[in-house]
Amino acid sequence: MLRLGAGDTFHGEGILAITKGLLQSGVAYVGGYQGAPVSHLLDVMVQGKAYMDELGVHVEACSNEASAAAMLGASIHYPLRGAVTWKSIVGTNVAADALSNLSSPGVTGGVLVVVGEDYGEGASVIQERTHAYALKSSMCLLDPRPELGVMVRMVEEGFRLSETSNMPCLMELRIRTCHVRGSFECKDNIAPAVSTRALMSEPAGFDYMRLAHPPVTFRHEKLKGDERIPAARRYIMEHGLNELMPGGRHADLGIVVQGGLYNALIRSLQQQGLADAFGGTDIPILVLNVTYPLVPEQVADFCLGKRAVLVVEEGQPEYIEQDIATLLRRRDIQTPLHGKDMLPAAGEYGVEVLAGGLGAFAAKYIESSEASSSAKAWLAGNRERREAVARQLETLLPNRPPSFCIGCPERPVFSALKLAQQETGPVHIAADIGCHAFGTFEPFSMGHSILGYGMSLASRAGVAPMMNRRTLSIMGDGGFWHNGLLTGVQSALFNGDDAVLLIFKNGYTSATGTQDIISTPDDEMKERAVDKQQSLVDKNQTIEATLKGLGVQWMRTVTTYDVERMRKTLTEALTSDFNGLKVVIAEGECQLERQRRIKPWIAGLLQRGERVVRVKYGVDEDVCNGDHACIRLSGCPTLTLRDNPDPLKVDPVATVIDGCVGCGLCGENAHAATLCPSFYRAEVVQNPKWHERLLHALRGAMVRVLQPA
Amino acid sequence: MEQNRPISLLVCALGGEGGGMLTEWLVDIARHAGYAAQSTSIPGVAQRTGATTYYIEVFPVPLAQLAGRRPVFSLSPVPGALDAIVSSELLETARQIGNGMSAPLRTLVISSSARIFTTAERMQPGDGRADAQQLLDVVKAFSREHHVFDMNAMARETGTVVSAVMLGAIAGSGLFPFPREAYEHVVRGGDTRAPEKLGKMAAASLRGFAAGFEAVGTPRAQAAFVSSVLAADTRDAPPPPRALPDELARRFPPAVHGMLALGHARVLDYQDTAYAELYAGRLAKVLDAERAADPAGAQGFAITREAARWLALWMAFDDIVRVAALKGRASRAQRVRQEVRAADEDIVKVYDHFKPGAAEFAALLPPGLARRVTAWDRGRQARGLAPWALPLKVGSHSVAGMASLRLLSSLKWLRRRGHRFAEEQALIERWLTAVEAGTREAWALGHELALCGRLIKGYGSTNERGKHNLLHMIGELAGHATLAAPARAEAIAAAREAALADEGGKALDAALVRHGAAPRPVQAQPIRWMKRPPSTSARP
Repeated sequence: MLRLGAGDTFHGEGILAITKGLLQSGVAYVGGYQGAPVSHLLDVMVQGKAYMDELGVHVEACSNEASAAAMLGASIHYPLRGAVTWKSIVGTNVAADALSNLSSPGVTGGVLVVVGEDYGEGASVIQERTHAYALKSSMCLLDPRPELGVMVRMVEEGFRLSETSNMPCLMELRIRTCHVRGSFECKDNIAPAVSTRALMSEPAGFDYMRLAHPPVTFRHEKLKGDERIPAARRYIMEHGLNELMPGGRHADLGIVVQGGLYNALIRSLQQQGLADAFGGTDIPILVLNVTYPLVPEQVADFCLGKRAVLVVEEGQPEYIEQDIATLLRRRDIQTPLHGKDMLPAAGEYGVEVLAGGLGAFAAKYIESSEASSSAKAWLAGNRERREAVARQLETLLPNRPPSFCIGCPERPVFSALKLAQQETGPVHIAADIGCHAFGTFEPFSMGHSILGYGMSLASRAGVAPMMNRRTLSIMGDGGFWHNGLLTGVQSALFNGDDAVLLIFKNGYTSATGTQDIISTPDDEMKERAVDKQQSLVDKNQTIEATLKGLGVQWMRTVTTYDVERMRKTLTEALTSDFNGLKVVIAEGECQLERQRRIKPWIAGLLQRGERVVRVKYGVDEDVCNGDHACIRLSGCPTLTLRDNPDPLKVDPVATVIDGCVGCGLCGENAHAATLCPSFYRAEVVQNPKWHERLLHALRGAMVRVLQPA
Repeated sequence: MEQNRPISLLVCALGGEGGGMLTEWLVDIARHAGYAAQSTSIPGVAQRTGATTYYIEVFPVPLAQLAGRRPVFSLSPVPGALDAIVSSELLETARQIGNGMSAPLRTLVISSSARIFTTAERMQPGDGRADAQQLLDVVKAFSREHHVFDMNAMARETGTVVSAVMLGAIAGSGLFPFPREAYEHVVRGGDTRAPEKLGKMAAASLRGFAAGFEAVGTPRAQAAFVSSVLAADTRDAPPPPRALPDELARRFPPAVHGMLALGHARVLDYQDTAYAELYAGRLAKVLDAERAADPAGAQGFAITREAARWLALWMAFDDIVRVAALKGRASRAQRVRQEVRAADEDIVKVYDHFKPGAAEFAALLPPGLARRVTAWDRGRQARGLAPWALPLKVGSHSVAGMASLRLLSSLKWLRRRGHRFAEEQALIERWLTAVEAGTREAWALGHELALCGRLIKGYGSTNERGKHNLLHMIGELAGHATLAAPARAEAIAAAREAALADEGGKALDAALVRHGAAPRPVQAQPIRWMKRPPSTSARP
């Protein structure tokens, strides 16, 4: 897909189109840190390494967003176009230091930071706006209209805008924009002039102006206002980056909208009878594909002579609206300005929400029509229907948050932790970002705080000294390498803290899409493994070696599926006489990755008629007591309920459905927690060898003699 | 279909069900058929088994007739302005309807009838499952037209994933202006060979597609499928009622016969004729009490019927002898083979997980000996050790494993002499006495007390907890002097529901206190305690 050239049409997802746009712009280096909704950008580049080498593009999977942002330093001196990507707001927070130091000297080669604006429905992080970073560091902020052609054009323009203004550009893409499926007409990719294939022979000369260091930082600040922002504004105007959609019947009104919200706006105008299916609108719209900096002349011209203007801007505070209000006031333009007075301050602007705000705007400035009353009826109908359904259902429907996958190696650790706390009493648990955060959901409901990726150990530093009992910090290997090693481990060691750290070593940053990290078992290892079903994370000892090197004295590695041992080890860590940092490494490879390896391997064996052993757990329906204690210790999607086949009993029995990967947790829990004896482990031998068949036949005959019906 | 607005479809699925594939198919199909289309999704971490949605819009006029104009599609579903909702799970369908998505005048709802229970539903000690009928009523009440059938079973039968069935259902509904061939072309991956020549995956998808298509496109096929699924699933159907001995049939009113037959057979199978006679005798006393409270049998002898159920289950209490008997049966080995979907030529090895503790062995010993075993185990725990238990993995497919199961199950005679047997009989009598006394006082009170038999189930700590709760409720509520009988009946009903709500018993204690009774006494539990001393001096 990335190889398409002029004359080809691209069909696919938004984020992949952006990736193609980077190559069409002659990008020289790409970096970033994975996270929804932009993981795919880096993933396809890493997977397409051969083609990147061909073009001379360097791709780096950075250890965190700070490292990705620092990589952009290459564009300060050199005419290199660089792009990095991460999930915002969290990633931008981590990158903030480098971004400030990049923005101050400014860039020579174009810089584009593609951030996934993880806001609204489907978001997994705190709800804040990336906009604030553009404002404070003077970076351009692109928010393209979610049409693939426009998005790709904004990538290309973004590099030029960055080069013209010396400002780095941010491009914010909302979740649905990243996953929108559409098409655009491709151009040829451009191999960068300076690249991994065409190397620079000499470094740039010394130039103090390129350092983010006083006294030149004072000069940089002046340059931002005096030269860079004006240059950016000129470019935005001259190249028509913002789009003006002329209005029909109500040309004396206006709407200013962030590019990314354009489609939702058009649909809500349609619902109000103010636009047609093709975007033809009664009210003129100024579509801001660049939301910072605004071009004062453009906005002023748009507002001048209008009866009123509505600013459609998602999230809070309303930076754009405030910016427009200031510029109108300074120019003494009296056009009434609306925005957050008619639209909600918080939350995603979906069609229904926007239609509500538009309704208020229209009610004030447009005579009511048949369409506007039908819109009112539609909105009222939605409200009434929600209430009617709630009344009919009587109780709230249970939520269905994401949870550990079937056979996930992390689930057993929470089972063990639940059991360990029955011995030690409840402990304060500092949780973290990653799949293990699903432990905060039912049936475990564990974790007192989440302070950021890799921050758990650091976040207990103030709690632990004040607490009678020990506290526990949970961290994934992703979080450990992202920054937990330094902010947590190093600090705890240096301060001689009495702390317990539980590291989930599953070998990947799994929550973001199982990307490789430094402690991932390497491909050669996977190739060589005779039994592809086994966990291979123990083959990579980078975490253990690092911790030893730092001086960790108390460290235990436990296979996650061994619940009994994990329970004992956790209890020991929480009650041991050793007063320093205690690290428990819970070792078990990400099941998603294992299954990706296992499935084709098993299929191959079966096809060749070779022996395969498949494991599945089950529950004896007549022995199950219907108390579901096993589910409260597991939550595995395949351990579920069905009607009790015993007509005397009323409570549903537990059952293991298809999809069980035979991880063994059910059996481990049955033993560790002394559950009811209804669990069995079945090993199904497919294509057994002849002697195995013979033995089984003899054994079967004897067993049948013993067995009653 | 209106020609000036896009056709809109919301797809609800769970992570990993192929919703992404489905939307990709739909967009490709639209392209091949010559229509403008767009899809969006919000996968994120919901990919990890959470609920997620996909959204598709298609413009109903072919691109060729649009004179170069392009429709502007919405990225998110618009509540109350959807043409269709297709969902792979019934509760998720109801959730989206509850979000206001479906408009009764406009929206076609196609939903799987299958339930994939949420963790919150599964983890309840009793039955926490949402009422499927209620969910179905919501679908019916808030849709223009609805098709509800088991897409998941259909996917299983055709050997594919549910997304293929969903695509077939969408095609069969005629929602989009694409011919069936356009769908099939894309499902085939552009491969135009005969179905038997296709790759395994594509062929399975095509079968699933066809099944979904027929289910929605031809309602008769849908009805036939539903009945075939029902017919095939006879394993869960209740067995035909066992014959009730004539003598018992004469002693008890017909309303009780069904339950009595089951209960009597259970107790007989569990121990012996004498024990079954004890069962009938105990139940007769409950019947006497009920006849006194309700001579005409206006309530259909519900107390006796419920007592017949719970008394049988309690008398056939679970112990290692019983478990060994159940696990040693040939029918059980057959059931396991079915459950793990083993083919005839496969070898199945079955390992059973047991972890009998001191209490389980003591149960079979005479009281004196049992006390000494229990005291020894308590002594261990006082020394900070874990309670003694013997974790076992018994291979019931092997000769040694089966022999030990049979040996254990032959110890029925020992059970009767064991200390647990005596203890259970005493507790049963206490409960029955309360039921009888309650019934004679007020029918409703007796009925609620009889239903409390549900609290007794299982093994080990679950069983202990249930007994503890029941005894406490009988002691605190059944004979509560200051409360009138109807108020006590109400209190007992509330406490019973609460006891099944959470395992810690917080809800139960709250319910007890609300009705003026004492909460349960706190049970002593040994914990390993590591107390950090407060800081007294500066760090070295």
